[in-house]
Amino acid sequence: MVNLMQAEKPVIRTENLNLYYGENQVLKEINIEILPKRVTALIGPSGCGKSTLIRCFNRMNELVDTCRIEGTVTYRGKNIYDADVDYVHLRKKVGMVFQRPNPFPKSIYDNVAYGPVVHGIRDKPALDRIVKKSLEQAALWNEVCDRLYEPAMGLSGGQQQRLCIARTLAVEPEIILMDEPCSALDPIATAKIENLIHELKENYTVIIVTHNMQQAARVSDYTGFMYLGELVEFGETLQIFESPEKELTNNYITGRFG
Amino acid sequence: MPDKYRGELLALKKSVTEFGRFSTGMLRDALVALRDQDTVLADTVNERKKKLAGWSDEIEEQSLRLVALYQPMGEDLRTIACINQMNTSLFRIGRYGKDIAIIVEELSDTTNLKNLKSVWHMADVVEGMIRDVLHSFDTGELTAIEELSLRDSNVDNLRYSIFRENLTYMMEDPKNITRCINYVMVARYLERCGDHACMMGEKVIFMVTGKRVEIK
Repeated sequence: MVNLMQAEKPVIRTENLNLYYGENQVLKEINIEILPKRVTALIGPSGCGKSTLIRCFNRMNELVDTCRIEGTVTYRGKNIYDADVDYVHLRKKVGMVFQRPNPFPKSIYDNVAYGPVVHGIRDKPALDRIVKKSLEQAALWNEVCDRLYEPAMGLSGGQQQRLCIARTLAVEPEIILMDEPCSALDPIATAKIENLIHELKENYTVIIVTHNMQQAARVSDYTGFMYLGELVEFGETLQIFESPEKELTNNYITGRFG
Repeated sequence: MPDKYRGELLALKKSVTEFGRFSTGMLRDALVALRDQDTVLADTVNERKKKLAGWSDEIEEQSLRLVALYQPMGEDLRTIACINQMNTSLFRIGRYGKDIAIIVEELSDTTNLKNLKSVWHMADVVEGMIRDVLHSFDTGELTAIEELSLRDSNVDNLRYSIFRENLTYMMEDPKNITRCINYVMVARYLERCGDHACMMGEKVIFMVTGKRVEIK
């Protein structure tokens, strides 16, 4: 069990989490604690299970038929795999941003307002406020405030990704999962997202999966290194990148494999 | 990460080890020149200072280049940190050699003090410390530098006793003053070289183990 000896209570915690796709075991005995209002990065070579792990945090893996999960994932002390958990509500609290920006083929405004509308908000002034606040928080407002009703597809890749973050923020989540949010973006758009992650930390818990180790080192407070479905090492980011305890971690971050 | 990067990092490490041999060579030759009043040898030490500075700049440039191009992590990052300390310290050690070479020229027309042996003993101890640090840096094998702290306090004591010893020579005959004052300076330089060995030793341990230790 990774225990960071913090007085703070973890917002997400897994205990002996095992995940199978059919016969194939993808996650092995994962024990991890995610602290609130921190950025936690997961690194590791392709296929090591890092995306699968964050998809456990909002029950996205259930969309795969053959998926079977053992162990527990608790969010605020409640096992999210309990039968009485409303996963729509769960996914509202645990939002997700994907590798490729995937805005809806609607206007910028409608993209952001979509979530709140689904959750029952119909009042136009209230929606206006949510859209403005979310776009501001996603550092996009200044770039789009005069064209809110234009198609979201007309935005650049980096802007689309920030729009997706704004869309996630609009339903007031507590946790934001990011699955390689910058891998389809150019360096400037990447830097903007990284700055944004730093700002989001004030109000949200961020868990980011990334292939870019320098990015993990720059944006995160804690880093976990995964390999072949196991969480090999977890600790403070600086320690992981400067003096990791495990040989395997050192070999990965120094580029000896991966 | 490509093998090119690993090759470049290893080449840089090798260059630092060779730089270490070069700079300690300057120190050793300067001390030999001082002992034997050999101004010709002292001249050659003095002439090596340009190469010393150029080599040090090259190491710095190369280490910055590796950081800029490859953003090293973990053990590699610690190796770069170690190389930067080694570069500074080895450059200083070479410069102390040059300073001693200048003393040799200044003292060329004064009488040698054959009885004064402790400076050469101190030089042996300090050179041994630097040699062992370079060996540990090169091989990653730390046993040779385990006792560095003890050896350094020995060096501090030697510096003090050399000071006392020289005082007696100066009291005995004021003609010895120029030479003895300079010996006190040399002992001071050697003591600083011992400190540099410790600073390098700390970083070598950090490079190999990832633990920060203080050697004093």
